[in-house]
Formats: sequence, C-alpha cells, structure tokens
Amino acid sequence: MSELWAIIEQPLHYPFMLRGLLASVMVGTLCAVVGSFVVLRGMAFFGDALAHAILPGVAVAYLLGANLFWGALAMALLTAVGIGYLSRRGQVKEDTAIGVIFAACFALGVALLSTVRSYTVDLTHILFGNVLGVSGQDVWLTAALGGIILVAVVLLYKELLVISFDTVLAATLHLPLVLLNYLLLILIALTVVVSLQTVGVALMVAMLVTPAATAYLLTRRLWQMMIVGAAVGAASSVIGLYLSFYVNIASGAAVVLVCTGFFILAFLFSPSRGVLASRMRRRGRS
Amino acid sequence: MTAPGDGVTHPQPGLVLAVRELTVGYNGAHALEGVTLDVYEGERVAVVGPNGAGKSTLLKALVGMLRPQAGTIHRAKSAEIGFVAQRASVDWSFPVTVYDAVLMGRIGKMGWLRWQRPRDREIARRSLAEVGMLDLADTQIGELSGGQQQRVFVARALAQEANVLLMDEPFAGVDAPSQEAILAILDDLRRRRVTVLLSTHDLNLAVDRFDRLALLNRRLIGYGPPRQLINPEILAEAYGGKALWRGDDYAMVMGDIGCCDAEGHVHE
Repeated sequence: MSELWAIIEQPLHYPFMLRGLLASVMVGTLCAVVGSFVVLRGMAFFGDALAHAILPGVAVAYLLGANLFWGALAMALLTAVGIGYLSRRGQVKEDTAIGVIFAACFALGVALLSTVRSYTVDLTHILFGNVLGVSGQDVWLTAALGGIILVAVVLLYKELLVISFDTVLAATLHLPLVLLNYLLLILIALTVVVSLQTVGVALMVAMLVTPAATAYLLTRRLWQMMIVGAAVGAASSVIGLYLSFYVNIASGAAVVLVCTGFFILAFLFSPSRGVLASRMRRRGRS
Repeated sequence: MTAPGDGVTHPQPGLVLAVRELTVGYNGAHALEGVTLDVYEGERVAVVGPNGAGKSTLLKALVGMLRPQAGTIHRAKSAEIGFVAQRASVDWSFPVTVYDAVLMGRIGKMGWLRWQRPRDREIARRSLAEVGMLDLADTQIGELSGGQQQRVFVARALAQEANVLLMDEPFAGVDAPSQEAILAILDDLRRRRVTVLLSTHDLNLAVDRFDRLALLNRRLIGYGPPRQLINPEILAEAYGGKALWRGDDYAMVMGDIGCCDAEGHVHE
C-alpha cells in the first residue's frame, strides 16, 4: 500500500508536475463539457481546424515576445467567426470553407515560425503541447477563462441544448439561432485557446472529442454526458501525466492514449450503446 | 412574425390564422403561390396534396420559419403556435430523455438565463400524461416507436401551452394503433379548443376525420369542408390523373410519385 502511495506522491514533489496536473485536469474537464456539443453536432473537423488555425496568432505573439495566449485568442476568435460567416453564406460547403481557411492559416503560421532559428523546438511545443512547462500564471489564466466558459455553458444550457437537438423548435420559440450558433463557436474557440499549452495544436481535437464521445456511449442525457465526459477527461489527464512521468513519454500523447483506452472500453462494453450489448440483444431476439 | 400588417386587428371572433395571397419559396423559386385561407379556433384542418405540393412549406411559413416572399400571415394575438416537424428532422440518437424533450417546450416560458421551476416540471409531466407517455418519461427518445415519438412531440407542444398545433406528416411511417392514438389525442385537443393543422398523404383519413381540407398543388386548389369540397374535377386538378374517383368513394393512385405512407392506401 505504501509503495502505491509513494508512486502517487513522488511526482507531486516537483512544482512543475503539480502545475501540469492542475492545468491538465482543468483542461480535461473543460474540453469534455464543450466537446459534448462538438460531438453531438458533428463539429470534430471544425474543432481540429480551429486548433490548427490559431498557429499564426501564436507565431506573431512569439515573434513579438508577447504572451502566446493573447495571439492564440485573437486568431481563434477571428477564425471561428470567419468560418461561421463563410459557411452561412453558402457559396461553398461548410467543410470546404473550413478546409481552405485552416490549411491557409496553418501554413502562414509555419511560414512565420520558420523565420526563427529555434524553429523545430518551438513548433514541437506548439504542436504537441508542453504541459510540464506551464507557469503559475498560466494555471490562473486557465482557471479564470475555464470558469467563464463553464458558467456560460451552465447559464445557456437549455438554449444550447435546443439549438443542438432541434433547430425547428428553436425557430418556433424564436430563439436567436444565428447568435447562439456564433456563441457556441466562440466558446469552442476559447476552449481551444485555454487548452493549447497542455495538449497542443495537433492533439487538441482528441481532447474535444474523445472524452465526450466516451460519455456519449454511457449516458442518455446531455448533462450526464458532460459530467461523465469531464470525469473521463480529468482521469485521463492524471493517468496520462503519471505515465509520462514514469515511462518517460510525451505528456500530451500519453493523455490522449489513455483517453482513447477509455473510449475503446466504452465502445465495447457500454450497457446501452456498446458493441457487446447490441450483439447480445440481437442474439436474445432471434 | 414577418407579416407587414401584424398590427391590424381582426374583426372576426375566433379567427386564429388569416393567410392572404401568400407566396413562399426557397432560393427564389416559388414552392407555394397566392394562398388565401382562414383558420378558426378549434378547427381541425388537413393539408393534403401530392408530393412537392408545398404542404410542409405552408406549415413552415405559418409557424414563422419561412418568410413570405409576398402576401401576409396574420396570427391572432392569443395564438401560441406549436410545431411538430417530420420525424426525420430530429437526431433520435441525441442524449435526451422523453421528459427532457418535453421540458424543452417550456423554454419560451422560462426566459433567458433561467432554470426550470417546479411549475415547468409539473406542466411537462402533465403534458406527458395527456398523451399517455408518462411511463416512458425516462426513456431515451431513440428507443421509442415512431408513433410514440410523435406523441412526445405533441406533448412538447402542449407543454409550450400551444393553442394552435401544426403537424407535418404525423402519420408517416406510423402503425395503425399509433395513428388511432394520435387521432384520439386530437379529439381531446378539440374539446380544449386547440386548433390543429396537419399535413398528410392520406386523403381518406383527411376526409373522414377533419373539419376542413386544404387541397394544395403549388397553389390552393380548394379549401372547405371535405364532403363539399371533394369531387372528381377538383381531385384531378390537384393530383393530375393520379387520384381515382369511384362513385361515393375515392382512392389514391400515386403512380410514379410514390408515397411515404406505410399503410399505403394505394389501390390498383
């Protein structure tokens, strides 16, 4: 027993590990709550694109020596609204609009970063995150912004539920559909920015989608999906960081792999939507 | 919502919806042209016509989802409109229980940034009881049959305290007992002076069980009590050669247009 405790306790002696754990638990929770909408509305590609599209903002902030966070924030909001606008215009299909914008932004970001000599190291950190490099200030910023996002989701829960589930009802009730859709895009954008340092650009979509998808397989109400997803996201973050500490693998990748493990378990064994359960039901019927 | 003359008062008592020269369409093309009709409180109106006649378009315009390109829709100030859309318009695998779906009808009454109050929960449960679905309140909506799904959405409109209920093809893909259950609910609503407008492919049903027919084919071919309205000429006008008149009765021959009605009601 004491050995197990030693395993758990030892990494906590390092302040960087403690900050990393705090930040990644918050990010895991937040991503699952906002990611529930991403999963239910089929916006995984949008989430992935948004994460990549903030690269030029990060690059400019980096070149100017400013906090990367603000560069990412400006770019994320710009992209979210830009994609929302282009897809509403309807001249090209939504996924085409997203594809064009995201690849262009990402290329611009890579071009900007490639002017710096330490290019590969910096790019790696931005692409895959650097959770163990999280500063105390970053933890506070994550907590503050994450708190704002969660409060917004709670306050607008019923409206966001209706626009995601049944746009016809939303129109019947005269809800401001366009405004609420933009608001949701902005909430996703903020979540991506908050999570940038922990998981990085390339693996962001996994944090948005995988815990929420795991929870989707296990629950049948949206708020339950959010809570279970948050638990899966937070647990994956903790287990992933310990794995990364002891096995010495990249932290972001470890978190995502643990998440995926949870998803596979739910996919196979969920009592309501799992593969085995539906097999058994089919056999029971015949 | 969009009618220019919304401020105009309607002198006739009991007039719920007054449609004048309504033209609606998508992307410039007209789906429906020059429709004029009045609907009175407590009436049960069936909107019938071949596929692509503009039945859904009319309902969506009435509820305010589509803007009129020309003409006006006057809604009585007291009219609270509930809409039961075609079942295909909803993702049934969504993590929402029957109770959650009905509670959504209360959102307009709850107001922004507010959570449900005991009264909202009570109305949601009562509405479910009225359509006989209270037992299934905790079921995920995807686990219901087609008829049960329709009843849940009727309950949602009741929770919305709708007194005008618009239903788009509620009998499509629904088995006979469920159809009767929905019709029984409509009888119940009639006693409470709820006005019902629904679109259907089933002309026989529309004639037997409704106060008025609105016969559509891109325009309003006829509007009135079924027995007065239906004759071989007007059916031919609405359906082309595809409706068959047989003395006292009639049968629909859909031919190449096909029909989504599970029962068929297709003869020959």
